[in-house]
Amino acid sequence: MSAAALATEPVVHAVERGSECYAVSTLGLTKRFGKRLAVDGLDLRIPAGSITGFVGPNGAGKTTTIRMLLGLIRPSAGSGTVLGHPLGNARAYLCRVGALIEGPTFYPALSGRENLMVLVRLGGISTKRVDVVLERVGLGSRGLDPFRTYSLGMRQRLGIAAALLPRPELLVLDEPTNGLDPHGIAEIRAMLRSFADDGMTVFVSSHLLAEIQQICEHLVVIEAGRLIFQGGVEELLAARAPELIVRTESYEDARRLLRLLTRIGRSARMTGDDDARTIEIGADGAFAGDLNRLAMADGITLVHLAERRSTLEEAFFEITRNRGPPTPGNRCAPGAAGDPDRSSSARPPGAARP
Amino acid sequence: MIWRAFASEWVKMRRRRLWYGSYGAIAAVVVLTTIVTIAGALHHPDSHGDLTLAQLAHASGLSQGLTQSGVLLGAVSFSIAAFQFGGEFAHGTLRNLLVRQPRRSTLMAGKCLAVLTFLIGAVVAATIVAICAAFVMAHLRGISTGAWTSGAGMADLGTLLGDLTISACGFAIIGMIAGVLLRSSVIAIAAGLAVLLPLETILTDAIPGMARWLPAQLLEAIAQGGSSTAHFGAALTTVSAYLLGAVMIAVLVFVRQDVTA
Repeated sequence: MSAAALATEPVVHAVERGSECYAVSTLGLTKRFGKRLAVDGLDLRIPAGSITGFVGPNGAGKTTTIRMLLGLIRPSAGSGTVLGHPLGNARAYLCRVGALIEGPTFYPALSGRENLMVLVRLGGISTKRVDVVLERVGLGSRGLDPFRTYSLGMRQRLGIAAALLPRPELLVLDEPTNGLDPHGIAEIRAMLRSFADDGMTVFVSSHLLAEIQQICEHLVVIEAGRLIFQGGVEELLAARAPELIVRTESYEDARRLLRLLTRIGRSARMTGDDDARTIEIGADGAFAGDLNRLAMADGITLVHLAERRSTLEEAFFEITRNRGPPTPGNRCAPGAAGDPDRSSSARPPGAARP
Repeated sequence: MIWRAFASEWVKMRRRRLWYGSYGAIAAVVVLTTIVTIAGALHHPDSHGDLTLAQLAHASGLSQGLTQSGVLLGAVSFSIAAFQFGGEFAHGTLRNLLVRQPRRSTLMAGKCLAVLTFLIGAVVAATIVAICAAFVMAHLRGISTGAWTSGAGMADLGTLLGDLTISACGFAIIGMIAGVLLRSSVIAIAAGLAVLLPLETILTDAIPGMARWLPAQLLEAIAQGGSSTAHFGAALTTVSAYLLGAVMIAVLVFVRQDVTA
């Protein structure tokens, strides 16, 4: 990475709301395409300076939401602000926003550098930025090659370079790791972390939940156009009870351990895996020592004992699976679990609001 | 702001392949019609009033071949413009442009100016090549070219170059409108050429006086400095009114439409 690249990046500006600071905030953001409701009353709060993950099943409305934030699609209803400016006045904030929308699209016959020059000229950005951003994404030596000769990873990196051109305060990346190999994904992950370190607000949508879990502090989950969770990733995971996974030496030991746990009032169940010798216990790591002593005292031999915390993927599936048809009761609204103003202790994922 | 969009578009249009393709196609069209016109000139007048070698030796002789290239030049201009606009939707590059320049009418105006300047350059370059071809053909057919380089000949050539440029720009603006409204270069070029060439010709043949109202026929008349069915001034006025209305609709659609590509 060049010294020039390191010397670049911005100061965060955002909307102050009480003690909270949001780079993006929407209220009841809605988009309807004919009869189809693509986004339904979305109340987004993206904390400034954070890396926020944006996840949801295919067709959940992620890209439509991003396009509305970028002024490419007009909302059917609702309002919002981006970097302190209303959504309807995109020209006021887009000069401070970088975006990669639905994969990198450039002119195939032009070189990577020329493609960036098109955007630099259009945005009135200094031409010096082209070399800076190419260097930053590791394309410095391939900038003169035609875009059509780029690998998928290089195309994604050029898309990110284009997003970095205006020294953005808010970086919106739609599926930046799509189609990348593990090495490419790791590169993008490191890049996103470095952007956040520079003070940028990064809003990244992805299908790769493990990636989101690794890089994001904040999370927005939508399904069928509706917000079903927003808050800290840790809050979401902490809301799911941890489990102890125990494997005994024999099936008979497993049955005895199960009876023992029931007797002391612990919820436990045999998983059926591994010749029915594995038991999942609703307890965290603090109970592991007691469990081991109890088992030993009863002559039960444990061959495996580990705490298992739920992954974002499990939490995501639980949230999206458990949500029935939307009703006024389980709609996410400001102040409910989806509202970071009040969600310091996240409700159990998927729990319907009263 | 328009300047930025203009300069941005020119970054794309500087690529060599586009130059060779566009300038080459336009030059080929103009040179071909010049060669065919001079090669087909008769030694003696016939009953059909076809062009003769004696007529070609007049001051206006140099521009006779160029005059015939109006429609083909228009078709190429239309296709280039439709490609430049429709391609942004088809490639999905429009969203990148709109994030950097959210003023859509400004973006459109800048792109439009860039495409028009590109085409004006192409018409001028093609005319120079066609003039060279005309002198070669005149030499081969024994036509005196003294009058071509006279003041009257040069004035005639200048007027024709202006007419051709106006006609090519008119076709190009229709191409841009088609690209914006149809959101695809392939569909815009296919549909546009089908309407402007065969359909208009059929309508003109089928309905007397129709040539005065159809845009491609009017633009062809402009390229020829006016025709028997549409005088230059009337053609220019009618086409200008059409283009103004169509451009307003295209701008309105472009500014208001959701960009989902």
